[in-house]
Amino acid sequence: MNREDLIQKWLDHNLNPTELEAFKKLEDYPSLIKLDQELIDFKPNTIDIDEAYNNVWTSVNSTKKKPKKLLATLSKIAAILVICFGFYFYTTTLDTTSHTIASQQKSIVLPDASQVQLNAMSTITFNKSNWNDSRSLTLNGEAFFKVAKGKKFDVNTTIGTVTVLGTQFNVKQRNDYLEVTCYEGKVGVYSEEKETTLLPGDTFLIIDGKYIATEKENLSHPSWLDNKSTFKSIPYKEVIAEFERQYNVSIEFNNINDSQNFTGSFTHNDIEIALKSITLPLQLKYSKTDNIIRLKRE
Amino acid sequence: MLKPLKDHICEEQLFSSIFRKYSKDLHDFLYYKFGSQLNPQDKMQEAFVKLWENCAKIPQNKAKSFLFTTANNLMLNEFAHQKVVLRHRKIIPKNSTNINPEFLLEEKEYKAKLEKAIAGLTEAQRVAFLMNRVEGKRFKEIAALLDISTKAVEKRIYGALKKLRQDIDEL
Repeated sequence: MNREDLIQKWLDHNLNPTELEAFKKLEDYPSLIKLDQELIDFKPNTIDIDEAYNNVWTSVNSTKKKPKKLLATLSKIAAILVICFGFYFYTTTLDTTSHTIASQQKSIVLPDASQVQLNAMSTITFNKSNWNDSRSLTLNGEAFFKVAKGKKFDVNTTIGTVTVLGTQFNVKQRNDYLEVTCYEGKVGVYSEEKETTLLPGDTFLIIDGKYIATEKENLSHPSWLDNKSTFKSIPYKEVIAEFERQYNVSIEFNNINDSQNFTGSFTHNDIEIALKSITLPLQLKYSKTDNIIRLKRE
Repeated sequence: MLKPLKDHICEEQLFSSIFRKYSKDLHDFLYYKFGSQLNPQDKMQEAFVKLWENCAKIPQNKAKSFLFTTANNLMLNEFAHQKVVLRHRKIIPKNSTNINPEFLLEEKEYKAKLEKAIAGLTEAQRVAFLMNRVEGKRFKEIAALLDISTKAVEKRIYGALKKLRQDIDEL
């Protein structure tokens, strides 16, 4: 084995015992060993691995766990998507509610082009998303319907359900009062007290759980659409309640029999005329302060 | 039994084992390459912090290359190719009274020459040579750390030795 090979092997820390002997006999052995020994002193200061590791780990933890960034970003995106879908799902399946305040009327077009005219202080609730599957809405108050032809159309009230196909009718439900008037087509009314089918001009009336027969009327639409409330043998308290709704006032009275029937009408446009319309026939006097109206016997 | 290599190293245990395996070699590499002025230990630690920050993207078998490359770049960012001078650590003679002054002088001269000679090596030679001589690493270990062939390591180290001896003789 020549000198160069021996030195190479020595460099690679790969000398076997015989080779080592041979290497030791080389003339430059002393100088190589001397060099080697001197080189050891170039060794860097030893580092404390544990301390260094702790340094790294503290600095890693102080930088807010960046390694989970990818996962965190993904979960953020996922969360946003979930919220969006949730919101979309919620809003599309959510019931639509339309509401009027006192002395306000509102007209609403349903998804199938049926029209609803809402009278004052009334609410309808319906679901847009499955409207074509079930035409069903909930009414609290008074509304006039022009129903487009199609499947069964249900108006649910607390007292009864009004079912029609394609027609025009008015539904008025106030507390224990339910009045359904048919203007065109056929209207089925189902309540606990009575089930009936109305033809044009027919009116279905329930007051305090009692069915009240009414005469046939031939009108094309309810009078309130012309800004007038009309009553035919209706208890006076219902008239007062309607008046309160139309003018957003409160009416106080005592010593007046509020269950006597009233026949007549009042306009929605002029409170003075309207007040006269409802007081004169019963020989009552009224006084008005702000939004409070007092009724007294003459 | 070898455990299957993980495709990421975001586990403290794994990270710690990688740290224990490479931190010293990485530190030594930085030291031999750039000297001590730029604080090789800091850069080594910084490289590991970066490794952890990117742990999701780095498979286990790429960790070493990542560490060496990152640490090297960190150094280069600061280091404007100054001349690296590795300092001989001061030796305190054990029995100074027994050593004759002539020998001490010679010794001092030799060290000075060696320092100069090492500074005269190429960077590649210096790193490989000192890892071999000072750290006692074999050729193939160095080859693995530096991602070069064993043959290249051999060449660098042998070349370095030759050049050193020549320079020392000449100086």
